[in-house]
Amino acid sequence: MTAHEQFGDDLALYALGTLEGDERVALERHLQECAGCRKELARLRGDAALLAMAAGASRPPARSRERLMAAVAREPRREAQPVVPIRRARATPWWGWMGWAAAAACLVFAVVLVHQNRVLQRRLFRVEARITGQDKQLQEAKELLSSLTAPDAEKYVLTAGNKPPQPQGRAIYVASSGTLVFIASHMPALPPQKAYELWLIPDTGTPIPAGVFKPDGQGSAAVVKPPLPVGITAKTFAITVEPEAGSDAPTSHPVMVGSAG
Amino acid sequence: MAGIYDRYSGVVYSVALRVLGDTGAAEDILQEILMQLWRNPEIYDASRGSLGAWLAVITRNRAIDALRKRRPETDISDVVVSVEPDLAGSADWSRALGKIRGVLGTMPAAQRSALEMSFFEGLTHPEIAEKTGEPLGTVKTRIRSGLLTLRKAFSL
Repeated sequence: MTAHEQFGDDLALYALGTLEGDERVALERHLQECAGCRKELARLRGDAALLAMAAGASRPPARSRERLMAAVAREPRREAQPVVPIRRARATPWWGWMGWAAAAACLVFAVVLVHQNRVLQRRLFRVEARITGQDKQLQEAKELLSSLTAPDAEKYVLTAGNKPPQPQGRAIYVASSGTLVFIASHMPALPPQKAYELWLIPDTGTPIPAGVFKPDGQGSAAVVKPPLPVGITAKTFAITVEPEAGSDAPTSHPVMVGSAG
Repeated sequence: MAGIYDRYSGVVYSVALRVLGDTGAAEDILQEILMQLWRNPEIYDASRGSLGAWLAVITRNRAIDALRKRRPETDISDVVVSVEPDLAGSADWSRALGKIRGVLGTMPAAQRSALEMSFFEGLTHPEIAEKTGEPLGTVKTRIRSGLLTLRKAFSL
């Protein structure tokens, strides 16, 4: 079966404007390349025009002519293309323009893509620079933190005279972010199944648990960034002795208390 | 424009009336088509076919669009119609009408029906197949061979 035979029935439907979907797309593609089928399409439309004659021989009402003439009088005609048929070079059919239109669309699309690519590259460079800076800051913070909390970090407490070192705790707290770092030294050993618990004592309200810890053999301990609510102003910090699992509220008197300053 | 109206208004109005079945709507289509030609006479040139045949085809297309309440699907300036002679002129019209009706009368009823449903109702071949219970391929072939029968009758 040749291409023309294959499209024969479809051409008739296309001439009547009732071909749809993939069949229509395939035929229109074929028409772009096939002058023979374009000619046959014109002839089928001519056949359809014959069929139109079968519509009958009705005459429009007389007022229709007056209406048209009035409309024509109101609307001056653009100069000055003759209506009477004049044979002239055939206009490029729509499928002839499709290639140019597609090429123009591709060009516009390519320009837009190049522009977008440049914008995205600049954005990518900025993001990469920011990430590199943040990586560096993060690395420094990690090194600082690991130095403070490393098991092999040795703590030196300097005191006046020959007094023995006293238990000591240092809390660094940022209320706006709810961040707390606590370091303790020379803490007394605990009874079995007991632990120290750090408390944030707010201006108003009940103490807030701020971490459970057990000191090492040298009495040192650290609590880093325990979960705390944000924006709580601390009046003091306190340490109590609690069961190993910790308590929701202090169950014993504080062994250490400290205010800011 | 008066001359064009006198010569071709009958065929334009008849086609629109047959498709739409409403005199007011048919009159509107007639006004629309002829005013379009008045405003942009270059949309038609003789290489697109005789004016009468061309008007018949674009009127039918516009009326089908109106019937299906859709926007015009085909650009008027794209429609090329190849038919000789200019049968839509009033002188030949009634003679041509008689001949065409004669040809349609000799067609098998199913073929004529498929052709008319497609042309005057704008039904697609799947819609016709669903309506008549016939295979898609049969409907397609009937429509094409119906058009070719008309061509043959006028080429003799």
